Formats: sequence, structure tokens, C-alpha cells
Amino acid sequence: MINVLLWLPLAFGALGLLLPRRVAGWWAVLGAIATLGVAIGLLAGFDTGNSGLQYTVDTPWISGLGVDYSLGLDGLNVFLVLLTAVLWTGSVAFAALREQERPQLFFFLILVAETATLGSFIAQDLLLFVLFFDFMLVPFYFLFGVWGQDRTAEGGPSASRATLKMIVYTLIGSLLMLVAAIATAIISADGGHVTFSIQALQQQGIGLGSQRWIFWFFAAAFLVKMPAFLLHGWMPDAYRAAPLPALAVFSGVLAKVGAYGFLRVVLPLFPEAAVEFQEVVLIVALASILYGSVMAFTQTNLRLIAGYSSVAQLGFITAGIFALRPDGADGAVLQMVNHGLVVAPIFIIIALLAERTGSEDLREMGGLALRAPVLAALFLIVALATLAMPGSANFVGEFYILNGLFQAKIVFAFIAISGVALSAYYALRLYQRTMHNREPAGLLSREIGLRDGLVLAPLVLCILALAFYPQLILKRTAPTVQQTIAHVTGGGAPEAQLAGGGTRDWEPTLVKR
Amino acid sequence: MSATTWAWLVLLFPLLGSIVTAIGFRALPAKAAGVLGTLSIALSFACAVAALINLLGEPAEARHHASSLWDYASVAGLDIKLGVYVDQLSVFMAVVVTGVSALIHLYSYGYMQSDEGYCRFFSYLNFFVFSMLLVVLAGNFVLLIVGWAFVGFTSYALISFWYRRETATKAGMKAFVINVVGDIGMVLAAFLIFRELGSFDYGEVFAKAPEAFTTNEWTVTAICLLLLLGVCAKSAQLPLHTWLPDAMEGPTPVSALIHAATMVTAGVYLIARTHVLFNLAPTAADISAFIGLATLLMAATVALVVTDLKRAIAYSTMSQIGYMVVGVSIGAYGAGLFHLMTHAFFKALLFMAAGSIIAAMANEQNIDKMSGFGKAMRFTSITMLCGGLALAAFPLTSGFFSKDEILAYAGARGGMYLIFTVLGYLGAFLTAVYTFRLIFRVLPGRPCKEAQELIDTGHVAHGEPRNPATGELEDTAVVFPGPEHHIAEHSATMRVAMAVLAFGALAGGLIQIPGVDNVVADFLDPVFADSPLAAIHPSTSWSWIGLGIGGVIALAGIATAHWLYVANPEAPRRLEARFRGIHGFLLNKWYFDEAIGFLVVRPALAIGRFANRVFERFVVDGLVTGTEGTVRGAGGVVRAVQNGFVRSYALLLIAGFAGLALYFLIASS
Repeated sequence: MINVLLWLPLAFGALGLLLPRRVAGWWAVLGAIATLGVAIGLLAGFDTGNSGLQYTVDTPWISGLGVDYSLGLDGLNVFLVLLTAVLWTGSVAFAALREQERPQLFFFLILVAETATLGSFIAQDLLLFVLFFDFMLVPFYFLFGVWGQDRTAEGGPSASRATLKMIVYTLIGSLLMLVAAIATAIISADGGHVTFSIQALQQQGIGLGSQRWIFWFFAAAFLVKMPAFLLHGWMPDAYRAAPLPALAVFSGVLAKVGAYGFLRVVLPLFPEAAVEFQEVVLIVALASILYGSVMAFTQTNLRLIAGYSSVAQLGFITAGIFALRPDGADGAVLQMVNHGLVVAPIFIIIALLAERTGSEDLREMGGLALRAPVLAALFLIVALATLAMPGSANFVGEFYILNGLFQAKIVFAFIAISGVALSAYYALRLYQRTMHNREPAGLLSREIGLRDGLVLAPLVLCILALAFYPQLILKRTAPTVQQTIAHVTGGGAPEAQLAGGGTRDWEPTLVKR
Repeated sequence: MSATTWAWLVLLFPLLGSIVTAIGFRALPAKAAGVLGTLSIALSFACAVAALINLLGEPAEARHHASSLWDYASVAGLDIKLGVYVDQLSVFMAVVVTGVSALIHLYSYGYMQSDEGYCRFFSYLNFFVFSMLLVVLAGNFVLLIVGWAFVGFTSYALISFWYRRETATKAGMKAFVINVVGDIGMVLAAFLIFRELGSFDYGEVFAKAPEAFTTNEWTVTAICLLLLLGVCAKSAQLPLHTWLPDAMEGPTPVSALIHAATMVTAGVYLIARTHVLFNLAPTAADISAFIGLATLLMAATVALVVTDLKRAIAYSTMSQIGYMVVGVSIGAYGAGLFHLMTHAFFKALLFMAAGSIIAAMANEQNIDKMSGFGKAMRFTSITMLCGGLALAAFPLTSGFFSKDEILAYAGARGGMYLIFTVLGYLGAFLTAVYTFRLIFRVLPGRPCKEAQELIDTGHVAHGEPRNPATGELEDTAVVFPGPEHHIAEHSATMRVAMAVLAFGALAGGLIQIPGVDNVVADFLDPVFADSPLAAIHPSTSWSWIGLGIGGVIALAGIATAHWLYVANPEAPRRLEARFRGIHGFLLNKWYFDEAIGFLVVRPALAIGRFANRVFERFVVDGLVTGTEGTVRGAGGVVRAVQNGFVRSYALLLIAGFAGLALYFLIASS
């Protein structure tokens, strides 16, 4: 079944190349929905209390190199897989509702991207992971470069140039990672049988000296992907060039692969280095939070506001992981899903706004709520979730992250939480400047169409449903997360040790007032 | 049914009402939203009363229950349930909130009828009440924060309800951001509580706290100060109060709802709820009391000079909340909460009356332009007078008993706390002056043009509605309630709401007369039985002496106002000219807005600009463009292949992958 999940999008995409252009889009939607169905089926059969891998597939692939075709689901990735399937369905449907150039190829590429992304989430072999991780980039390279928008008129770069910049950045990271992966396997084998199985590598372990540099090779790849502060140079140009349906999944899902990589690869394989470099990574995370937030509230381009806010949100997620406490990491996993669920609708909404105003600039918008109350309401919910409004699942994620950080490194928590106030401002500003006040002269807005509504509303419903019951995710992810963190901190029963900081002992008194 | 079941129903109805009116905004016939919205709050009120009756049927010590629906977010040792906590305090708050809110909904049913956003208004209004009920009924700190933030959000939505007004959207944003600052304080307090006590649950936290903390230990002091940050933001206490006067951009029923029954009283409730912690941190409690005192005096002085009718009442609210904060901080829990209740009555009433008058003035809010409404709007002016008397603590009205109870307690506690009594009476004098300044300006005298029109034709003024802040012509065709604004004189529902509140404002104090009866405090006392401060009681005779002083001060204040604004109408202008500096200082609201702008907003924007213009361009981009530049400098190679370069690059990438895959496939077989 997990094989079906992985290859179904690719199969649909390939078949779609043979279909006439009119039906290519809807065929792709069908493929995305089928994949979503499989993903839901996998979640339904997921054993909640189990911290180990489920639905495992493990066949030797290149036995000489110790590379296995090894897939599996556990708490770390099960909801990211679901998120991928959900967002791809939404984006593909949104794209199918619009005229695309060379649609067969467009939808083929976007479905290839889904397979690659799913692959990097479920791969349990280090080299397989690296391959999928790099392969993700290829379809997006074409999607951005060919179907993207040239910004030369605005003094920006052309689409191909922006894409090239992105490729250069990410490829450098990827190459470092490839080197690091091979080095890990070889050092770990220590002359014996080489294996790339993440589980086996985790058990074998490698020395602290090697951990130190390999840690940073992997970290570089992941931090570029997110992107984190100082490594985000590719983001503004690429985001402005990208076609919005592709950008929705790119920002919604691909950024999470970076954060996920820390949990899947870095913490299990380089636990001592993770502890050693905890504060360095936390500083990068804090810088991302603050810098992303400050940038987000000074931008006027809608895509860049969303883009920089993602930098800040990914900063929170990284900080949660590197609090190295179960609560922080639980929050991080939850927040990956949450952030994907809010950022993809934002890009869809940006596309809708651009269609109505002919612009992607905040200064040329306003007053849209008047003629589009439903769109405004949907946008408001998304905006509130973006700023982690208490009552949303995003708040729960942030609360867990910050609590973990607070109990681990209190100063970092105090700095990080200022990002919360900033996010309130930029998210609400985004909403208010587009929807409220009076519209610029000559602007005639209109309500969201029924078909676009059917794309956007389910995503918003996901946000609302999670707001009522974030435990849905937490309950299923916690066992694996706890095991991962326990491996790093070396504690046998982290739950009992870490809850409440354990600075005081309690008499088990009856709680009564 | 148990009390907790009733409590869940109290929460359910407003939420349902909000959702139904929101979804049905196209399908619902006109006015249906108003009926549904009002009905849902009325049902919620009924459930709150049922919960109260349920509690009264139990022995006083056993009147507290917790109940939870499901695990909200409960892993890794953080046990967060969707739970409520029902005791005398929360039920008391729920009854007051739902009761007054129901009346405000009833008023809005008439007042907002000509507004295009009728459904949206009731949806927000219901959600507001739901949020506030969540604050008072929450069973743990996380749910409290959720309700707390919901209140902040809904106030944003309602303040910028007329979203075509730029002043309104700005004011909404200001309220929201300041409230988020308060939320952050609460969140940090929760983290610290969790670190020390290992739980977010009220029952557990309050049971463990006395053993865990020594008095004035820094941790518990820090917790209380962080909570206080939330209190200041939500209850508009110094220095986070600046959003409240601007919040008057919202429709008048919103002002009544935010400033009377809900939102601003949340801080008072929070201090009362966490009194166990504040008792362990007397320093923090004293700081809180002094903040309340400073706010009550500062706001009262500003209310003396502001010419905008609604803003003057808003500053009065700040001032009155100051009294409540002083009360619950120094230990006068019953008195503080009693004042919360009476204030809800008379302040809601004053806003409703102001709303009617503003409607009659075609949205003009400047009291200098108003006069003679006593004749033009008899019902409104009588109810306004009732509210004004209660606010000014005229003998035997509700405010008279509740305010003096706080001051008498401070006197009984003695020592340093006598300051609160003395300055509290000073504040009471100012209160009487500014209240009757408003009343003497608006009600008596020769009718102004609008009032005359009302007397002659019975019609409300039809002037072109302009934004009182900017003079900009309003967008009446679409969202702004046009000339069809309702006034109490014409609408039965508005009259009913105001009449009930007027009765409460006049007679509400009679349930708690020193030496006679003590209904509210007796009911609430068991909640605070664990507090060492609960043992302090002013004697009946001292209470009456205090009441006597209070009565004299109120009368003196009213007399002063009469002398200034009726007997010598030239006197205020002479005073203004004489004390130009002070007057300007007060008129600019002590320059708080400017200070915050200078200290917080401008630096933040400057950092943003720097990041954008300098850092992003030269540092971040430089990392790439630097290398690109080198390549370009090396020769014309790049230019020559630039077009083909990208494509071949990608092809290379794919070819590489394909080759790699092929190799592995062959190698593995």
C-alpha cells in the first residue's frame, strides 16, 4: 500500500501525458484525490500507540552499496504524508480550474513532484532519502522556470534567472548532503558491511569527531530548504517567479522536508553533535523568527509577506526541535502540518486577489471584503491561524514549542516569543490592507467563485477541525517523537523526567479547593 | 443536570448563534439574525441562572466542580483538556456577563437595524460573548488564554466593524496588537507556572502553590507580574490602555459590550481567580493596586477635558476598572466584583444613552455641539441621568454602595492602604464632576439644531454622516448605518434594555448594604476563604461613615459641575485659558500614544526598513550576486550561454539522475 501511495501520482502523471489537453487537469486532480485516499487509508490503519515504523517495505536495491529500497511510516511522517496529499489535491484542483500552457506537461511535473516529496518523507534509507530530496527539485525547477513569471518589468529577475539562483543554493546544500550521507555510511561501517539504513546507522552510531562536521553538512542542506536566516537569499526571487499553484505546495510542503530532515536524520544519527550545537542552531532559529517577522511587516508584495512569514514560522519549528525536549519536538511536528495548512491557502488567496486586482502589491489593494464577504471570511480564518491565534492548532503547536524552549533555555524563549507579537501585526496587516479600508479607484472586486470556493473551503475546514482537536495529531506523533528525543538526551523515560522541570517534589495531595 | 452541564450549555448557545448567523448571512431574512443572536444570549443567560440555582442547592464548601469534554492537547506531560471550572466566582461572572450582554443584544437589535452588516454584527457579538464566557469558565490556564485571545480578536473585529473607515481599521489593529502583548504575558506566566508546578489546571495549580512558593519568592512574583501584563492590556490599565479610547470607533453597542459587561472586566476576574498566587506575592499585588490607582486618577483627569462623548465615557470606564483592580488587588474581592456588576449596569446604560444621542446628532460626538436633549429625548435623558447618578455615586444608587465598599476595605486594612482610600475619594470627586459635566452639557439648555428638529418633526437629524475623527464623508450606501439610525425613543427593544439597566443602576446596590444585607459577598466568600486577606472586614459603623463621606463628595462633585457648566458657563473657558499647559497635557491624554510611538513603533519600523534596504540587498543577496559578479567578470562566457545555460544545466541534472538510477538498477540485478 505504501508503494501505491508513492508511485500513484507518478503513474497518473505519466498517463496524463497521453491525454488531450482539455482533460489533463482533471485527470491530475483524480490522481491527487486517489493519492489522498490512499494516504487517508494509511492513517486509518495507523497504530497510534506504536513508536516504531509501520507499513514497512524493505528490499535490497543495490546490495553492493548497501542501499535498500526501504519505506515506512511512523509518527514523524504520517501527518506530513497526509499534508502532502491534501495540499497537492488543493493545488492541482486550483490549477486545473485555470488555463495552463501545455497542461499535460504542467500536470505531469506537478505529480512527479508529489511522488518525489512523498518519497523523501517515507524513505527510511539514507541514500534513498537524499535521492528523493534532490529529485524534488527537478520538477519545481521546470515549473518555476517555464511557467513562472518574469519580473524584469518591475526591475526584478526573469523567471529562469530566479530559478537558477534557487537551484544553485539548494544544489550546494544537496551536494554537501550527498557527501555527508556517504561519509556517514562508510564511517559507521568502520570497514565492515556498509549500510544506508537509517535505523541500522542509528544503532551503530559514529564518533563525535565525525558527527561534528557531518552534522553541519546535513544542517546546511536542510536550512537552505526551509529557508533559514542568511540562507534565504534564493527565496524572494524564486517566490516572485513561481506559478502560484506550484508555490502553494512548494512553500506548504517542501519547506517542511528540511525541518523533517532534522528529526529523521540529524537527531537520530548525530545526537551528540545535536546537543553540542543546540545553541548555535537555536540562534539561527531565533534570527529566522525575528528577521522573517520584521521583513514580513515591511514588505508590500503579497508573496514576499507570505514567504518571509514562512521563514519566521520555520524558525519556530527549528527552535522546537532543538529545544531537545519531547514537548518542543511534538509542537514542531504539529506546527509543520499547521503551517502547511495555512500557507498553501494563503498562496491560493493571493492568486485570487491577483485575479481581482491585477496586482500582487498591498498598496494597490483594499476594500475587497465589500464585494467578497465569503472570501474575506475564509481569508480571515487563515490569517488568524497564521498568527497562531490561541484556539487554533497553530497556537497549540507554538505553545508546545515555546514551552519546550522555555523549560530548556529560558532566554531563548523570551526572545522567540516576541516573534509572536510581530506575527500578529504582519498577518493582520496582510488581511486588513487587502480586505478593509476603501478600494483604490477603479478596482472592482468580486466574490470567490463556487468552484474556487470548493478548493479553498476544505482547506479552511481542515484548519478549523484541527483547532478543535489538535490531539488528533499529537496523540499519533508523540510516541515516535519521544523516542527520537530520548535517543538524543539519553534518558530512558523522558516523560517522567522532563514534565514540569522536576525542580520540586510533590506530595500526592488531593486537588481540592 | 449538574452545574457543569449547564456551564457547557452557557458556552454552547453563543457559539451556535455566532456560527448560524455567520453562515446564514445571505439566507436569513432581515432581522432574523438579531432575533437569533439575542435569543442565543438569552438562553445562555437562562443556563447561567440554572447553574447558579444548582450551586445554591449545594453546601457552600462543595460549590466547585471541574468537567472536561476531551483531551485538547495532552502529550509529553502537558495535560491540557477542554475543561471548565465552575464555582461561585465563575458562575457569578457568567450571570453578569450573559445578563448584561442579553440586554445589549436587545438594544442592538433596534440600534443596528439600518446597518448593512447586520448579520455580521450579531455573529461577532455572539462570538464576543462566547469568548468572554470561555475566559470566566475555563478550567485551565491554556483555555483561559484561548478565551482571552478570542476576546482580543473579537474586539478587533468589532472595533473595525465599519471597515471602510480607515480610522476604525487602525484602531482595531491597535487594540489587537496591544492585546497580543498581554497574551504573551499570559503565555509566559503559564510556562512559568508549568515549570514550577507541573500543571496548567486550576485545581492543581492553586492547591500546590501555597506549598511550592514562599511568600514573595521571585518566581511567584514573576508569575503575577506576567499575569498583570495581561490584565493591563485587557482591562486598559496603564500603560497599555491606549487602545481603549480609540476603540470608540466601533458601533456604540460594541462600546457598551466591551466597556461594561465584558472584556475590560476580564482582568479583574483574572486577579480574583488567581488570588492564591497574588496572595503569595504581596509585592506584585501592591504593584497591581498602584497601577489601578494611577489609572483611575489619570483617566479621571482626562475625562474632565475630552469633548468626545463616547471617549469621555471610555476614560470613565478605565477609571472605574481602576477601582476594581485596586479592590481585588488589596483583598476586597467581594467589593471589587460587586463594583464590577454595578458598573456593568450603569456603564452599559450610559453608552446606550450616548448611542441614542449620537444617532440623533447624525453621528456627531462632540459634546460642545450638543444641548437641550432633555426636552428632545425624554426617555433617553432620564435613563442617562440614572446612569450618571450611579456613576457619580449619588447616595443610595448602586455605584454609591459598591465603590465605597472598596474604599472602606482599604481603610480597614490600614497602613499604606489608607492611600487608596484617600486618593480613591479624590477620584470619586473627579468622577462626579466629569459625569455631570457630560450630563449638564448634553441634557439641559436651549436645544441645539438637531434636538430642535427632533422636537419639531420627531425625526432624527439627516445630516451627512461624517467620520468624527477625520471629517471624511462616510460610505453610507454600503456599510455605514445611514440616516435610519435608531434612537431609544422610537424603538421598543432599545427602551426595554435601557429601562432594565436603569433599574439595575439605581437599585442594584440595595442587595449589599452594610449592616443590612450582603448578598454578593456572602455568595462569593467561600471562594476566597483561603485568603488571609478575607478575614479583614470594615466594621458596619466605619462603612457607614465611609458612605457618608462618599455621599458628601459625590454631591460636592455634582455641585462643582453645576457651578462650572450651568451657573458659570464662562468658567471652564477661563480655566482652560489660565491653565493652558495642563489642559493641553490632559487633552493629549498625557501623551501616552506619542510615547509608545516613539519608544516602540518607530524603532520597530526603522529596523524593518534597515533590514529591507540595507541588509537584504547587501548581505543576503551579496552572497550570491558576489559570486555571479565574479563569473561575469571572468569573461563573456556567461553572457554567451546565458539563455541556453539554464536549460542545459537542468538537462544535466536530469541526465545525471537518470544515469545514476540506471546504474543502480543494473548494479542491483
